[in-house]
Amino acid sequence: MSLSKSSPSRRHFLRSVGATLSLPVMPSLLPNALGASGKLGATVAETASPSRMVAIGNLLGYQLDSLFPKTAGAQYETTRLLKPLEAVRKDMTLYRGLDHGVKGGHFAVHSFLTGVLKMDAKGRPDGNISLDQLAAESVRGRTRFPSLTVGSEGGIHGGCQMSWTRSGTRVPPIPGPQQLFEKLFVGEPASRLSEVKDRHSLQASILDAVSGDAKTLERKLDSEDRAKLDEYLTSVREVEQQLQLKEQWVEVPKPDAPFDEPKNVNLVEDLPLIYDLIALALQTDSTRIATLEIGGDFLPQHLGINDGYHSLSHHGKKQDAIDSLLVLEEYQMTHFARFLGKLAGTKEGDGTLLDHTSVLFGSGMGNANAHTNHDLPIILAGGGFDHGTFKKVPTEGHGKVPLSNLFLSVLHRFGVERDGFGNSTGTFV
Amino acid sequence: MRSRSITLFLAFLGTIPASLATLKANDGEVAFQFVGSYCLECHDASTEEGSRNFEEIDFPLQDEMGIIAVQEIIDQLNLGAMPPKKADQPEHNLKTNAIAALTAEVADAHARLKSTGGQTLLRRLNEREYLNTLEDLFSRRVDTFAPTAKFPSDQTDHHIDTIGDALVTSGFLLDNYFEAADLVVEKALGIEKKPEVKTWTFSDKFTQGQELSYSHKSVYNYEYLCVYEVPNTTNHEGGYAGLEQFPEGVHAAGYYEVKALAHSMHRDSPYDPEIFRMDLSEPFRLGIVTGDASIGELHHPQPVEPQLAEVTVADGKPQWHTMKVWLEKGQQPRFIFPNGMANCRQAFGKIAKEYKEQWPEEERDKASGISQARRIVLKHGKMPHIRIHEVQIKGPLYDEWPPEPQRVVFGEKGFSASRKTEILHQFAERAFRRPVEDDEVQRFVDLAEKRITEGHSPREATLDGIKAILCSPSFLYFDEAAEKEKGRLSAWDLANRLSYFLTASLPDEQLRSLAASGEILKKETILAETARLLDDPKSDNFIAGFLDSWLNYRALGDQPPDRNNAAPYYYDDLETAMKTETRLFLRHLLTANAPITDFLDSDYTFVNRPLAEHYRLDAPFTHDNAYTFQKVSLDDRRRGGLLGMGGVLTVSSNGIETSPVVRGVYVMENILGTPPPPPPDEVPALEPDTRGTTTIREQLAKHRELATCADCHQRIDPPGFALENFDPIGRWRTSYPQVNKKVPAVKIDPSGELYDGRKFEHLPDFKKLLLDQKDQFTRHLTERLLSYGAGRRIELLDRPRVDAVVAQVKEDDYGMRTLLEGVVTSEIFLSR
Repeated sequence: MSLSKSSPSRRHFLRSVGATLSLPVMPSLLPNALGASGKLGATVAETASPSRMVAIGNLLGYQLDSLFPKTAGAQYETTRLLKPLEAVRKDMTLYRGLDHGVKGGHFAVHSFLTGVLKMDAKGRPDGNISLDQLAAESVRGRTRFPSLTVGSEGGIHGGCQMSWTRSGTRVPPIPGPQQLFEKLFVGEPASRLSEVKDRHSLQASILDAVSGDAKTLERKLDSEDRAKLDEYLTSVREVEQQLQLKEQWVEVPKPDAPFDEPKNVNLVEDLPLIYDLIALALQTDSTRIATLEIGGDFLPQHLGINDGYHSLSHHGKKQDAIDSLLVLEEYQMTHFARFLGKLAGTKEGDGTLLDHTSVLFGSGMGNANAHTNHDLPIILAGGGFDHGTFKKVPTEGHGKVPLSNLFLSVLHRFGVERDGFGNSTGTFV
Repeated sequence: MRSRSITLFLAFLGTIPASLATLKANDGEVAFQFVGSYCLECHDASTEEGSRNFEEIDFPLQDEMGIIAVQEIIDQLNLGAMPPKKADQPEHNLKTNAIAALTAEVADAHARLKSTGGQTLLRRLNEREYLNTLEDLFSRRVDTFAPTAKFPSDQTDHHIDTIGDALVTSGFLLDNYFEAADLVVEKALGIEKKPEVKTWTFSDKFTQGQELSYSHKSVYNYEYLCVYEVPNTTNHEGGYAGLEQFPEGVHAAGYYEVKALAHSMHRDSPYDPEIFRMDLSEPFRLGIVTGDASIGELHHPQPVEPQLAEVTVADGKPQWHTMKVWLEKGQQPRFIFPNGMANCRQAFGKIAKEYKEQWPEEERDKASGISQARRIVLKHGKMPHIRIHEVQIKGPLYDEWPPEPQRVVFGEKGFSASRKTEILHQFAERAFRRPVEDDEVQRFVDLAEKRITEGHSPREATLDGIKAILCSPSFLYFDEAAEKEKGRLSAWDLANRLSYFLTASLPDEQLRSLAASGEILKKETILAETARLLDDPKSDNFIAGFLDSWLNYRALGDQPPDRNNAAPYYYDDLETAMKTETRLFLRHLLTANAPITDFLDSDYTFVNRPLAEHYRLDAPFTHDNAYTFQKVSLDDRRRGGLLGMGGVLTVSSNGIETSPVVRGVYVMENILGTPPPPPPDEVPALEPDTRGTTTIREQLAKHRELATCADCHQRIDPPGFALENFDPIGRWRTSYPQVNKKVPAVKIDPSGELYDGRKFEHLPDFKKLLLDQKDQFTRHLTERLLSYGAGRRIELLDRPRVDAVVAQVKEDDYGMRTLLEGVVTSEIFLSR
């Protein structure tokens, strides 16, 4: 591993601090103190240790031969890619055989958290909404951020594109630790407070004016166009809701920052810090839901490998390319394990933060060399579920289990009472 | 034999796009009977084998569930998996007939469900139209601060980004529109007082990036600002030379005079030219891009960095080079070296090692680490670079005040509170692209009044009203409310449509006055305006926008070619050159009314020197015109037409390897307009095994073995094979890359056989056969232009009107200009 060899700088010191010291324990903001429960459509009942959800995905999958063991059950052997996860083995479950039944290679990776291809989403009752955004709807107003989407904006064919709104708009990710830090800990200085409020007031006035314009326009349109204009009016309502949220939280100070604002280096080197900030976000109840997409910005050069990630993924079965990929993948596994360890080491209520957080890890890409989207790598950790095993399910025929069944179980654990998600046929853990 | 004629018949059917596949009158009956006879025994409501129940299926299909069920039936039949071996098997012809009928029913159902009834649905401005419109509304460039940087990308349909039905609005996007409007209005109109002119001089303390820091301190004592390589490299060490000592940037937006005291160093460098991959005999060029220290490192690429200027650098003694550039507040100029070396880090390393003997003895052992390598080479060697001794910046330089954007919006004398309503009215008229009623403007005036009562100045309040206008649906959408009787567009709507088609922006004054008078509705006027707009440089927006849509050039570079194997793609900026080639080609066809069949094969194309080298063409370039495109004749017909263009060849590969299936599908979808149906779900994807033993042709041969796979692959594979001699970035190759020393490189076989049995030996042969399809191509290009221009999908019921344009074009020797004129005067373009 070759991280940039600059002379010891503050940046490096902070990074290693994040890596070795345990996180400061922050008192959770009690949402009820704000009188916010239910006001903005939150439907989940509030408890002392609220449920959280985290989903992590990458763009090009993993070398499945080096990931999946041969033995199912609790005695599964530790494969090369599972080795970094040994310390958290009892807190996680590995699955094989789950997928969404889609095809398209890179063009289907975006279905990881939605369960459907974008182009097929239009007529569906839930549109194109992803797991995290659906969960976010149910806790709206409880926290400053209904959800936080973090990671790489781009990559092959638009990147991971993990998080989606109902209408089929991608939620672009927060690109680095600097911006994530700012969102969590940098509030407006008191001197700017009146300016911020004024801005909200302007936005509200603009929303009024444009709604009026929309009504004038509507009178001229026929029914099909009115349906299209409805998209705009729905958007206006969404912005109004967002504005209410901002107004509600503007006077509430953000939590104190545990360290100085970091500057972005690159996704590879920033990965541990990003995980730390996500853990902090959950701990400070800044959000209950987070996603992390490890996409095109994850450059192999930063691990000393002089090749393109996408180029490597088309290894054509060449051993040296596969070896390089395994280095990249081990790195991702290592930091995922570290993240789980952090959550497990944070006491909360009657258990740990990990007990209250369902963590999904995997990819919408199965075998990148062949561009398949079945046989996906899937890990579920925490959330209070039973763990410690490797579960294999049939990939076709009667016993086939849609990945969305697992997602539905996660939603239920989060507190969302629903009959289905995506193409689920029931629940599954 | 009967089965062969059915295969041919099906192949013939296959040349018609799936959405226009003629549904025969008895298809529903045939399909229904077949399902009844061969499926229901096991798959009805009582038996439901495999959880499949087909009893409810009826034709025509009414919903998605029906489509999914029937598609599954088709797939299973194609794979030969159903009916199962133990059951009654249908006779081959019956089965093939039934598959065709079922497929036609599914295609018909898809088209019906997606149909917008042959009408353009309320469509919003796409991102590029939005940006162009802002530039026109404010008479100010916006590319230097990228107001749409955070916008979600536009949804496309068949790669076209103007389809009303596909373009979606969301709360997320609307929020972004607020931010963008705020940003643009403040930047364009926010400054009341003329900013004071300042000067800065920088002659030392040029610390540059952390990689160069040590060597630049040791050898130069930070006295020179140096650029070594092209901007787009993997390491970004020496491609951007910014002013680290000037992080605050300039204090106000405007034009700045930037002077650099600079010269070229070591154009006589003695080292192996392969190390640099640049032509030292070519004078060095110095460019300026924007930079913002608050966004990221100055020596790295930044999200916003348009190139603002470029000059040739003097040799010999340092000389002053003056450039005038537009900078936004907080930005600074960064210097780039567009024709610099490919990678300076690698060069430093190689030179330090390979020319060790030339260094003083005590330095020779130190040459291995990169830090020392840089220092040694800079101190003792001859590393080519541009060296800047001093930089002076002066500005902002305004000849007039108020500046143009403010005069355009407020009037010649600038803002005045008493004219607030008039200003908002005028702005709304221009933004809504039509005359506006007083009551429409009143709500924005009311907003401004409210802001005044909240404590804002009339000027600020008026700006807020303008921001609101930019978020209104009347601005963001083309409402195109048609004249009730004929469904024809009104004069204003037609003027807007014509303008956005040919310039992707607001109608200019002349077009507006023709809209106001109604003259634009006359055919002669439409044609005259089309000619006028095509002559206007703004029509470059049409050429670029249309090619980005039709050929999916927008995606060029999304699958980045390998940095090692395709290095010239980056250091010669071939991506830009490839786009330019096709744009100039289309421009030529329009100007000369040349035949559109030139797209299928031509004896000329347009190249600059790097592209000519890439294509291995002998073209007369000198140092002075190396980057200027020229029209060149092609004796060798391997190049020529779209299939010889680097852009097409690159966008139809994945940057790493080529696939005849992918390229074949690209040709069928985009050039012939006969997209093949997707493969059955259960066919395992081809896992590329490039360990040398099996060629892709051998692997694809399996498709020929199964009769039903062959049906489609007989049409998909041949264009792909013909193009296999082009590597992932369109370089000619005669064999695949050698994988290891033991296995010799496999020779490429570009021959093939069309579905009708006609054979070709290689690409030039294939292109001749392609010309036989010119009517199909004409229809497809016509549909794409109509779709792009009218902002909707072209559907089955449009066929007669499409045919009318095609007939016009054929009659005029397939002229491109004639085609465009046919498009703008077509019923489809003139109606909703």
